[in-house]
Amino acid sequence: MRTTIRLVAGSLSLGVVLVAGVAAAGPLDGPGAAKALACSACHGPGGQSPSNTMPIIAGIAPWYFKKAIEDYAGGRRPSPEMEPYAKYVIQAGVDDLAAYFTGQARQPTAMRPDAAAIERGRAASKQCAICHGESGRGDAAKGSPDLRGQPPGYLRHQMLLFKADRRNPADETLKALKALMKTVPDDQIGDLAAYYSSLR
Amino acid sequence: MTRLTRREFLRTSGTGAGLGLLAAAGVAGCAPAIKGDFAPKAGRRVVVIGGGWGGATAAKYVRLADPSIEVVLLEPNQQFVSCPFSNLVLSGVRSIDSLTFGYGGLRSHDVKVYHAAASAIEPDTRRVRVGEGYLEYDRLIVSPGVEFQWEQVDGLAEAQDRVLHAWKAGRQTVQLARQLEAMPDGGVFVLTVPPVAYRCPPGPYERACQVAWYLKTRKPKSKLVVLDANQNVVSKAALFRAAWKDYPNLEYRASNKVVKVDPSTREVTTDFGDRVKYDVVNLIPPQRAGTIAVQADLVGADKRWCEVDHVTYESVKHKNVHVVGDSTIGLPVPKSGNIANAMGKICAVAVVHLLNGKEVPSMAPGNTCYSWVNDREAIAVVNAYKIEGGKVVQIEQKLTPSQSAEWAQHADGWARSIWQDILA
Ligand SMILES: Cc1cc2nc3c(=O)[nH]c(=O)nc-3n(C[C@H](O)[C@H](O)[C@H](O)COP(=O)(O)OP(=O)(O)OC[C@H]3O[C@@H](n4cnc5c(N)ncnc54)[C@H](O)[C@@H]3O)c2cc1C
Ligand code: HEC
Ligand code: HEC
Repeated sequence: MRTTIRLVAGSLSLGVVLVAGVAAAGPLDGPGAAKALACSACHGPGGQSPSNTMPIIAGIAPWYFKKAIEDYAGGRRPSPEMEPYAKYVIQAGVDDLAAYFTGQARQPTAMRPDAAAIERGRAASKQCAICHGESGRGDAAKGSPDLRGQPPGYLRHQMLLFKADRRNPADETLKALKALMKTVPDDQIGDLAAYYSSLR
Repeated sequence: MTRLTRREFLRTSGTGAGLGLLAAAGVAGCAPAIKGDFAPKAGRRVVVIGGGWGGATAAKYVRLADPSIEVVLLEPNQQFVSCPFSNLVLSGVRSIDSLTFGYGGLRSHDVKVYHAAASAIEPDTRRVRVGEGYLEYDRLIVSPGVEFQWEQVDGLAEAQDRVLHAWKAGRQTVQLARQLEAMPDGGVFVLTVPPVAYRCPPGPYERACQVAWYLKTRKPKSKLVVLDANQNVVSKAALFRAAWKDYPNLEYRASNKVVKVDPSTREVTTDFGDRVKYDVVNLIPPQRAGTIAVQADLVGADKRWCEVDHVTYESVKHKNVHVVGDSTIGLPVPKSGNIANAMGKICAVAVVHLLNGKEVPSMAPGNTCYSWVNDREAIAVVNAYKIEGGKVVQIEQKLTPSQSAEWAQHADGWARSIWQDILA
């Protein structure tokens, strides 16, 4: 585990980080922009997370943003970090924040997973397309979010949470998704994460 | 601390507004004597004192919020060294280089970075003194961090070169890591915790974990003694105490305020007169706001910390002077880098609104403090706040249920995001 963290830390030079940050920083006008300042500490400037673990929330669909915030604030999606921040979002105005992040064009993660893993993930992704679409773009009608360009570490971790029934535990509406995840071996979960993170 | 080569030094200071600009202003030479108004103000200008977590963030965000406002940042250090994660340098889990960054990102936002210290503030004429010269400002943002109250511990002022604090990341962090490495197995490492309020409430206990982990894995016959001036672990007490179950080599003594240190006998003395022998001591002294804030009369009756408006961060003592970061007091927030960063952003937006004659939006900060309890696991505390009646009020505090590698990975993600938020 220690090596994993170190590898991640070493994989991006500061130069890359700096350039990405400059491009990502948006103007600060609009009611959502000032309210969103609290989020960049973890999700990166403009919601363009530079790490492998924090999700990119730039370009997030407003309906999915609101559901995530409500689930965190209500304790349905357990997260010690997001529960307090979700309550802050509700206090500050969820629509303003949703509008701000939806308006930020998503820059895909800078993480570059192994090409062989991406190919294996592509082959395994047929079972996901029914809900997330062939392109991984997601589907509002099915409540499934856009997976494209998210950090692979984040995607992998969320799938493991579904598999262990730790994300929205015992939620009836996600029964089909979790039943499917239980059938996916852990290494294939890594491959699927690599594949979806590589999509644009 | 990464040492700069001469070439690097010339390059850093030459780009944007380092010594290069000083030279352009007619004060060339190896050790330029700054005189008079060394960078005359053309339009509206914000001067920022201190390029740490609060100040660097504020400087960048004033430029982002209104690029027509000139921003000058005064910071004596050539490089930014992150205190967060610096406890991991003591255990060898991270290198100091991985925590060291340049100011090039701020220069790319046209922040004029001068590597010099402010020597005085003149609120009446709106000037900041730098040596024999001065700079004019429309609004000033002060984020000088903490200064140590050396005089509170007998013998400390004279022993500063041997008795290390390592509470400002950099040279001392590396020196303390070397002292720990050189300590014979079977030795005693004494870590002292100052009375509140001090920088980073969980910081000393995270350090205790890192030192204990290092000793357990590398010098198993050695011992760590933590002498805490406070009655109990100040932050995340239950989580730290659970983590310490893995460290039988850690002895924690609450209500043991260290009042004296004697390097010749290698001994510290507590306020009860107990003496504790050490092979290596890490004495974290009591703290107050950075010296410039004290000298500029920004501190309150306690002569330690600066009281500010909770929405604009304007000093309650001087108009047009704003204070952010560890130097502040009165908000229900910890002295953390995450809070300093949040204050820097909110203050920058407030200052821009004020300079443009607009109503300031009421924004509350947020806080997260991750602490590493060994080489691969962490714990965290998260606080959300709101503004109520013009004051910052906590909405909720949440802790991680236990220690795990999951929070350590989140800590890594946090660090990468926030370093970028401050400097890129
Ligand atoms: C070991 C350790 C671990 C920590 N871990 C965490 C953590 O995990 N998470 C977290 O959120 N926080 C953590 N912190 C706390 C965090 O480092 C501080 O809260 C933060 O640095 C405060 O920001 P600041 O801007 O007030 O001060 P600093 O970041 O210290 O910046 C002050 C700057 O002002 C400059 N300065 C001072 N006087 C002058 C002058 N006269 N003119 C010009 N410049 C001047 C200094 O050189 C310095 O660069 C930790 C601290 C320590 C010591
Ligand atoms: C302390 C770090 C931290 C801060 C600050 C933070 N977040 Fe998060 N956020 C996280 C983590 C960690 C997750 C993933 C949690 C999980 O496992 O579900 C997350 C997840 C999310 C998600 C779900 C993303 C998805 O694809 O499902 C949204 C939306 C979100 N955050 C919005 C915000 C907003 C808005 C703010 C600012 C008000 C904010 N966050 C501040 C750490 C943070
Ligand atoms: C039955 C429909 C369905 C199928 C099949 C499905 N998903 Fe999903 N998926 C969803 C829904 C709905 C969500 C959002 C859950 C929520 O609201 O919290 C989701 C969320 C996710 C997330 C979390 C994204 C984020 O931003 O947090 C990941 C990752 C994911 N799915 C991956 C997959 C993969 C990989 C597969 C194929 C193995 C798959 N899903 C199959 C419906 C589905």
